[in-house]
Amino acid sequence: MLEGNVRVINPLGLHARAAAQLVKLANRFSSKIIVKRLDNQTNAYANSILGLLALAASTGTTLHLRVEGQDEQLAFEAVEDIFSKGFGEI
Amino acid sequence: MGINMKKVGGVIVSHGQVANELLSAAENVVGGLSHITAVSIGWHDDVEIAKEEIARAIKHVSQGVGVLLMTDMFGGTPTNISAMFLKENEVEIVTGVNLPMVIKLASHTGDTTLSELAKDVEEQGKQAIYRTGALLEPQKIKKDA
Repeated sequence: MLEGNVRVINPLGLHARAAAQLVKLANRFSSKIIVKRLDNQTNAYANSILGLLALAASTGTTLHLRVEGQDEQLAFEAVEDIFSKGFGEI
Repeated sequence: MGINMKKVGGVIVSHGQVANELLSAAENVVGGLSHITAVSIGWHDDVEIAKEEIARAIKHVSQGVGVLLMTDMFGGTPTNISAMFLKENEVEIVTGVNLPMVIKLASHTGDTTLSELAKDVEEQGKQAIYRTGALLEPQKIKKDA
């Protein structure tokens, strides 16, 4: 299992289209990916668009990732990457 | 999720263009949705014509495992006409359609039955309504303190 934090840096936050990108990415891996807000402990599976939207993660929010499964290394890096690139919006 | 797994189909039925626009918004978020279609009933449309349109739409999206009709408002004409198609294990109706409900139906994996999915979509529709200001209230109190 891999754990770590990522920051939402794109100006619009984790909005619908960004969340959809994350879902698409998460579905490429067999690992279970859980995204959690550190401030209020709300969490969501990275393959659930409605769960991700309910996090209401605006820009600047720090999210905790927990990735578990056979391809956890690749999955963790890919998710970290999409956050650090601001979902291609910056 | 098997590639050949059959999916429950969906038809959004509304007054005016709401149905088409809801579907197009959902497609913008999650991509093309071949198992969901929209029927917009004009304000002056004949009931028989509307009924035929819904029948065609159901046939169009059906993969043999049921079709969920999502209508705009309980008691409205789109719902009342849709109700004529209610049939156990074949056609279910959930009213008060909103975008999260369409996305819920769009992203189901194909291993849920029609009635389970109808319940999930109903639940999702209710849960996805927030009075957003209420989410911020605890933080406001903290700031004041």
